[in-house]
This record gives sequence, structure tokens and C-alpha cells, in this order.
Amino acid sequence: MAEEFVVVKDLYKSFKDIKAVDGVSFSIEKGEIFGLLGPNGAGKTTVIRMLSTVLPADKGEITIGGHPVKTGAEAVRSLIGVCPQDLALYEDLSALDNMVFFGRMVGMESKEAKDQAMSNLKLMGLEGRAKGKVGKFSGGMKRRINLAIALMGSPRLLFLDEPTVGIDPQSRNHIFNNVQELQKGGLTVLYTTHYMEEADRLCKRVAIMDGGQIIALDTPYNLKSKIGSPDSVTLEDVFLNLTGRSLRD
Amino acid sequence: MKRAFLITLNEVRLYLQDKGDLAFSLLLPILTFALMYGAFGGETMFKTTASIVDEDGGIYSQQLIEKLDDIDGISIDMLSAEDAEAKLERSDILLALFIPLGFSDNLASGDKAELIFKQRGNGGLEGQILAGVIRSVSAEIDQEFQVLHRVESNLEGESISASEIESTVNNLLDAERQQPALGVTEEVVGGSADFINQYLPGIITMYVLFAISMSARTIVEERRRGTLERLLTTHLNTGELFFGKFIANIARGFIQTLILLILSYAVFQIFTPLSFLACLVISLVFAAAASGLGMIIAAISRTEEAANWIAVVVTMFMVMMGNTFFQISEDSVLATVGKFSLNTYANEAYTTIIAQAGSLGDVWTQLVILAAVAVVGLIISRMIFRAVPGSK
Repeated sequence: MAEEFVVVKDLYKSFKDIKAVDGVSFSIEKGEIFGLLGPNGAGKTTVIRMLSTVLPADKGEITIGGHPVKTGAEAVRSLIGVCPQDLALYEDLSALDNMVFFGRMVGMESKEAKDQAMSNLKLMGLEGRAKGKVGKFSGGMKRRINLAIALMGSPRLLFLDEPTVGIDPQSRNHIFNNVQELQKGGLTVLYTTHYMEEADRLCKRVAIMDGGQIIALDTPYNLKSKIGSPDSVTLEDVFLNLTGRSLRD
Repeated sequence: MKRAFLITLNEVRLYLQDKGDLAFSLLLPILTFALMYGAFGGETMFKTTASIVDEDGGIYSQQLIEKLDDIDGISIDMLSAEDAEAKLERSDILLALFIPLGFSDNLASGDKAELIFKQRGNGGLEGQILAGVIRSVSAEIDQEFQVLHRVESNLEGESISASEIESTVNNLLDAERQQPALGVTEEVVGGSADFINQYLPGIITMYVLFAISMSARTIVEERRRGTLERLLTTHLNTGELFFGKFIANIARGFIQTLILLILSYAVFQIFTPLSFLACLVISLVFAAAASGLGMIIAAISRTEEAANWIAVVVTMFMVMMGNTFFQISEDSVLATVGKFSLNTYANEAYTTIIAQAGSLGDVWTQLVILAAVAVVGLIISRMIFRAVPGSK
């Protein structure tokens, strides 16, 4: 059995009367790309915020790399990189300045941060635009920079919160390939997306959330098998079957 | 602490990258200074030029012209008759004094001498004032001649030469001018006649208060960009984030004030080196207090609009209640309310240094209060801040 890098047990979080996360438990193996799917308002972002130490849980335990988040937040921050759903960039600064700044924030020295920034830019195919102002980049380029920043400090666990929203297929494909390459290098990934084919392509296992709870957790193949032939059923069919077809806020 | 200074450096870098914001914030104090200079940079007393045509050229016309030239605020422009006529015709000047030929001889012989004002219309306000001054000077000269003629007449037949009589009379008249029997005292009612000293403290405090608005937006902008959450997943803690922003906002507020103070130092020359340095210290501490207050607003604001509006209200309160541009009576309710305004203490400190030649030792109470506001503001803002709803 592979080593568990992330362990989440009985996680709860409420905002006033709203139960955003209502007893969520799962684990992620080391080197696994784990998908977290769900309609809007299911609680995915709240789960990520709790795992990334931004939000404290009301109840439950989270352990990342052997460190409990509640008492070892500093140690956890050394292990994680976060690529948020919304772009988190300083548009008036260059790509390189953005990356070096966040590299310094995760504890890197100046030269080390610069070197890794150039390396990550090369990985993203943006080494020629290092000195360019981020505000002038296309949407796809900004998404790639957003991801490149998350890789500063060589994290061992990467949170990818809908990293391919609103970008062109080429950039999307580039990000997929990067994620797969990084995973082969030992990186553990928690991946959220609304694009079911992405989850099907990338994730070893997928958890489907709705109403703050995990309603299904298995490999895409097994999930598809539960409702039909895995060759003809899609993960989207599974998703709609489990969460319903009514519109969500 | 290193990360806090990295935050400060990043803020400064962002500030320098925004060319529009940078130009505006550097040009605004220069523009304000130019307006101040235009309004208050000139002399506060009456100044005019007397256009004079001396057709006489004698000793007494020269005496009249010298007396006029000695009066503060009046400068002399000697013209030929043709030039003066031409200028009056074109309305380049509205009044000219003509000293006719024979003026000095008539005065010397005791005959009637006269001066002629040629003017367009009523000569304008300046012309009327100048004419009044010239009449006053010529009346003085007339009286001196009257005295001299009277003395000469009384001493007629005595064996005293005319030159000796004239010399003695002039000496007595000089002595009288040194210690006149009738004196004039000026009393200024309702504030200093020196407008620079009166208004400069208020203008400086206005600029420092900009630090409130800048501070108020700073955290909200991070939230809007999405970088706030990202920062909080790094090793940066909230205290370091706040401190870094706090220092950056002090720097921004201080830079504008520094420009204004340097220009005032160079042009108005109202500072000594020590008083200039003292004003810099006050500006720094006041900027810190404004920044602390701004950080509290930043901590409670969820949007940039909210931050801006709260900052505007707070700034207006500080300005209105803080003796910035008008004096508040000490025994009034407003004075009590004014004790909650940072401007009250800052204006007191600046006025003590600029207008009353005080030192930093004279304003230590004000500095301590402002420094306390800075520290408390930073602490409270950190305590009440929530990065995301439901966070610590």
C-alpha cells in the first residue's frame, strides 16, 4: 500500500448556519493526482483552504506529510504549493519579479529563487517572457504563471484549484503535460475541476462532493462501472447521476 | 522580520511601476507648493511703482524723489514727458507724477510750487493710494520749508548766515524724525500676519493624511488581486504582512511631505536646518499614526469602495476637528472632540516648530500621542483582521 501523504478525518466547517464541509474524510497517496469534483457550493474550495492552512477547521484532523495542520502549520506550509482558481498575480510586475517575490516568501534566498523562477518559466514555456509585465500576458499565459508560482519552493503537495478555467486548448494541454510530468517526479496533487474529461485523464482517484459531503470516492473507471460500461459512460454521466441535473448557485 | 521588509520592498516596487500614480503623487505636492507660492509668496504689504517725470531737475525735486524711494513698497520709474504721455495714452500706466520746471526755485524763493498728477480716469486704486502717499510726502516737505522760512524770517537782521540757519533747522528736523512726537503701532487681530507660518502646517498635515487612504486600500487590493490568500499559504504570517504594509505606507505618505518641506525650505526660507529636521521627524511620526489608522480601516474593509469611503470620512473628521485651516476655540465642545483628531497634535507640533521657533523637546507630548496611535493602530488592525470569513 502506498504511503499516505494527506490524511483528512471527519472534517467540519460551518459559516454561521451553513455547513460548508460536513464530515469529510479522505486520504491522498504520495505521488497521486487526486481529483476533488463537485458542483458550485459543494465545499471544495473550503476543503482546500483548510488543507492549505488559510482556514481553521471547526472539527476534524488534517495531516500533511506527517504534520498535523492544527499544530504544525509552519511545517505544512513548507510542503505545499497553491495554485488558486482566481489568478493571484501582481500584474504591474514582471513574471520573474512575481515568481522571485513568492519564492522569497516560501523561504528561498534571492539567487535560489531567481534560478528556480527561470527553471519554472522554462517548464511553462515562458522563459522568453520573464521580464514581461504580467498585465500584458494573455489569459493562458497568466494561468501558466499562476501555476509556475505555485511550484516555487519545490512543494511536495500541490493544490490545483481549477487551473485551466477560461484558457485556450494549447495552454490547457501544456498544463496537463506539466502536471503529469511533475507527478512522475513524485509530486502529490489535489486537483479540482469542473471539466470531467480532465479529471478522467489526470486523476488516479476522484472524490465527488455535494452539500459539504463526499458522496463518492473511487477511481474514474470504478465510478463509471457503477452506472454502465466504462467505455461508453463518461465521468460527467457519473457526476450528473450522483449530484442531479438541477442548476446550482 | 525579513519577510516584512520584502513586503515593504514589493509595495515600493508596485508603487514605482504605476507611472500614473507615481507622477500624480510626486507632482501634487509640487503643484500645491506652486499654488501656495502664488497665494502667499509675495509681500503682504502694499507695493507699487511711481512713474515720475522730473522736468525740474533741481535739488528739491531730487529730495522729493529720494523721499518717495525711501518708502517701503514704492519703487521709482523715471520717464521722459513723451514716454509718460504715451504710456498714459495706452493705459500702460494710470497715473504719472510731473514735477514741473521751476519747482525747486519756487520752493527756495518761498513762492508757490506745485506738483501735477496726470492720470487716466481716477488713476486706479493703486494710483489713488500712490497719489495719497505723494501728497503726504509733499506736505511734509512743505512743512519743512514753512519752518525754515519762519525761522529765517524771525532771525532776519541777526548775524546768522542763511546756510547756518538752514543747517540748524535741518538738524532739528532730522532729530524730530528720529523721535517723532506722534507714533504708530500695528496690532494684528485674529492670527498671524505671516500666512506661510499659519497655513503651511495645515497643508503638510493634509498630505500626511493621504497615508490613511493609501493604507486603507492596501490589504483590500491584495484581497482583490487574489494574492492575499496565496501569501498566507507561505511562511509569511499576518503580523509580518501588516508590518510590511505599514512601513511602506509611511514611506509613501512621507515622500510627498518631504517634497513639500524641501520646497518650502528653499523658497520661503522659514526654516533653520534644525527646525527643518524637526519637521521631518514630526512628519515621520504623524505618517506612522495615519498609517496605523489606515491599517485599522484596511482590516475591517471588505471592498476597495468601503475602504475609500471610510478613509474619506475619517480624513475629513481629522481635518475639520484638528485646527487645520481655522482655529477652534479652546473652551468649546469642538475642542474636546478635536482631541480625537490626529491633526490637532500634528498641527500643534508643526506650529510650535515653524511659527514659534520651538524644538522637538517642546512637542514631545504630541509626538508620544501620535506614536502611540501608530502602535495601537497596528496592533488593533492585526487583531481584528480576517483573511477569509471564518479564519483566525
